[in-house]
Amino acid sequence: MTATSVEALAAVNEVQRPPRRLAAPLWVAALLLLLTFLVIYPLLMLVFGALSDSNPIVDGFGAFKPSAKHFLEVLANPNVHLAFFNALAACGGGTILAVVIGLAFSWIVVRTNTPFKGFIAGASMIPLFVPPLVAGVAWGILGSPKTGLLNTALKWMNIDFRFDFYSMSGLIIVFGIYYAPYVYMFTASALKNMDPSLEEASEVAGASAFTTIFTITFPLIAPAILAGSLLSFVVMLGIYGVPAALGAPANINVLTTYIFKLTAWSPPLYNTAAAVAILLMAVTAILVWAQQRLLSGRSFATVAGKAFRPRSLNLGKWRWFTFGLALTYLFVVVVLPTLALIIAAFRKFLFIKDFDALFDMKQYSWVHFNSVFDNPLTMLSIWNTLKVGALTAVVGGALAFAIGYTVNRTNVAGRKSIDMLATLPIAIPGLVVGVAYLWAWIGLPGGLYGTLWILALAFVARFMPDTVKALSTSFMQIHKELEEAAWICGRGLLGTIRTIVLPLARPGVVASMTLLFVLAVRELGSSLFLYTSDTTVMAVLLLDYYEGGNVGKTAAFSLVQTLILAVLLGFTTWLSRDAAQGSARVG
Amino acid sequence: MQRRTMTATAIGLALGLAALPAMAQNEFGSKELIAAAEKEGALTYYTANFAETEQEVIKEFNKRFPKIKVSMVRAPGGQLITRIKTEAAAGKLGADVVNHSDRGLMLELADLFQDYAPPNAADYRPDALVSPKLWPGVTLGWAIAYNTALVKNAPKTWMDLTKPEYKNKMIGQVVAPSGGTTWTRSMFERQVLGEDYWKKQAELGIAMYPSGAPLSDALVRGEVTIAPLLYNIIYTKIVEGAPAEAIFAPEGVPIIPYADGITKTAKSPNAAKLFMNWRLSKEGQAFQITKLGNITSLKEPPAFPKGWDPKVVKVWVPNFEQFEKLRTPWIEEWNKTYGYRQ
Repeated sequence: MTATSVEALAAVNEVQRPPRRLAAPLWVAALLLLLTFLVIYPLLMLVFGALSDSNPIVDGFGAFKPSAKHFLEVLANPNVHLAFFNALAACGGGTILAVVIGLAFSWIVVRTNTPFKGFIAGASMIPLFVPPLVAGVAWGILGSPKTGLLNTALKWMNIDFRFDFYSMSGLIIVFGIYYAPYVYMFTASALKNMDPSLEEASEVAGASAFTTIFTITFPLIAPAILAGSLLSFVVMLGIYGVPAALGAPANINVLTTYIFKLTAWSPPLYNTAAAVAILLMAVTAILVWAQQRLLSGRSFATVAGKAFRPRSLNLGKWRWFTFGLALTYLFVVVVLPTLALIIAAFRKFLFIKDFDALFDMKQYSWVHFNSVFDNPLTMLSIWNTLKVGALTAVVGGALAFAIGYTVNRTNVAGRKSIDMLATLPIAIPGLVVGVAYLWAWIGLPGGLYGTLWILALAFVARFMPDTVKALSTSFMQIHKELEEAAWICGRGLLGTIRTIVLPLARPGVVASMTLLFVLAVRELGSSLFLYTSDTTVMAVLLLDYYEGGNVGKTAAFSLVQTLILAVLLGFTTWLSRDAAQGSARVG
Repeated sequence: MQRRTMTATAIGLALGLAALPAMAQNEFGSKELIAAAEKEGALTYYTANFAETEQEVIKEFNKRFPKIKVSMVRAPGGQLITRIKTEAAAGKLGADVVNHSDRGLMLELADLFQDYAPPNAADYRPDALVSPKLWPGVTLGWAIAYNTALVKNAPKTWMDLTKPEYKNKMIGQVVAPSGGTTWTRSMFERQVLGEDYWKKQAELGIAMYPSGAPLSDALVRGEVTIAPLLYNIIYTKIVEGAPAEAIFAPEGVPIIPYADGITKTAKSPNAAKLFMNWRLSKEGQAFQITKLGNITSLKEPPAFPKGWDPKVVKVWVPNFEQFEKLRTPWIEEWNKTYGYRQ
């Protein structure tokens, strides 16, 4: 504190700040311009596609004859209705499950004295690294009604019950357990930053711990819960891999699998796919609007200028119960599918006659790993992926910070439009957005096409809503009084951001950049159109293995991918912890 | 007389001997072409085929021409076409050679391709070509595959796949609207095996898959026990020791000749030509048949896949006009018959 105030005092004597009146509109204009390039321009291409039969690049804009044909076709198609209903059921059910798990988890980790919390917190993020396609494949291996490993084990134990993950309930469970970390990320940081005095007051007034949780704690972090559930719902809506692997065998279509079919058929029906995508966007727009209506006019600032430490509830003997709960979740979501992947990656073939055949060691070898690393594209794709991930995280993180700050902490005119533009890309499925970026950016002068930058820019645009939303919750919780204090001390806007906002929002910034990195590494849909032979990425290669019908190599390569992400994330955690300790010492 | 014969033989031999190296050269192209291709040193290859299979092809090509680096871009069929169209329109088409299974879609793009014919052009079946610029570098064929650990009474003909003993989702099928390859199979089933073949088979209860690869994997795992599959998808698995086998049925083998061409904008036109020549040569085709499980569109195949008896097995190539015309109405009927929601 002392060091900061000395600096702040010195700043009083600093000369002339830039004229704010001119700076603000310029800044907003710059952001809007950037968002137009990243979001509006590709989206216009998409609308163009949905409203015509032509490809804007191939046929030129002159061939644009607008018609509502595709929209009407899509609206009238009973299969679209069914896919729409299925998508709502699967994602709605999945979101409810994700909220229950994510919230319970964040409470256990942040607010209780459950043993080994750090380990639980780290391990529970693992599902985020798993590409949806891999998750789908892993749960197919585990839960297929005919050959699933779980059923093989049940048979061996003479238990009559059989799992069937090729079903709607299978989809809901897999969605729920894999997207719980989204809810967890939002709610955990909100819980960490919450002033415990409110809860203490509740308990002093005689409320039980249980009542306090439901009447004080959860309502206070409502924006985080809502933001997390909204994000997980919308992300689930856009997922292809899980319903492709688990829904297809039972003939359950959702909107994404339907869109994939439209783009994969020969001839591909991109214009119809664009129309379906615009429907998806409408659904998301309504959800985002509803969320903003619910939250508007309320203050959720719980991080104020007072020092506090998140309170940890002493659970007594019950802490072993919460520990058991956490372990069960980790076992289901991490150990079981990883085990399935390991078995698939090391087993020559996945034909497992009975439970004993699982332990026939002659069937296991490194053959799939060898052939993956024999492929010269493997190392190239790993290297490219790391570069694109880093580019995306840095550029996207900086942009999201700029947008998040402008939207949440200033009153400049035009910030609502910025917010809206930054939220738009959330609902567009990757495959369709990929072709929109291709249409939009291939014609640009300069050599953007064919470089890693075009991939990174597409990822920045595509994941901007996720990053901005993740950051916004951090911003919403930093009380305005802290910034005001800095201004009173004579700090300029940039100085305040640098010395007050950035350090306080740092966990959020690091988390969003990490999230961006992970999402960029996993992203397939938009990569498929923008990669070239020199810029191939891991997700594209993974699809090659999957489409080649080789579960062994798919599993081996996804284990490699997971391992790389885990090492990198461990490294960033270590880095940020180190930095946090460093700053704590300085403070 | 005798002397004359001897002279003739001598001349013939001399001609023959002189022609030998020339023939070896001509099989893949002239000396000049090879030199020019090696000078270019690289080419870019767009393919809709399986990445791993095509990598094997590139590796084998590099055994003969190690100085030419082949970079590959692989995407699923429909997506690859969209990309080619868009890149070409923007003047940024990256491909020197394109390899695609859908002849109809490639025919629409024929303007993007340059005139080309391999040295052994006359050896190819005319019905495998849709344009003089596009050549079947790859030809695939449909086989009946089954899991050897689970099927006691293996099917021997296409008609066997309508037998009640295989009911209750024992049989897996790739859905007809999946692409050109499955449409070829469905067309064969209806035109050759009978108007009611689909209905009879659908009544058994069929497990449906979006594409061949996951179905071949499901067969090996035992999710389904019998499945019509493109032979190359299951062949490599059989060779590696998977509990599976595949047969070519006597009623006919529907084949899918690809349409491959060299783009007009090729940056390495000579390397592209040499690569195409090699893939279409006897050597290239024989490699794809014996090592990858492909078929060939050569009139006289240089090799046969395992279990292929040329006296019994008949190749079936769809009539291209009907292939285009019947596609939409028949696929709609297929969807209805099999209860597949599109």
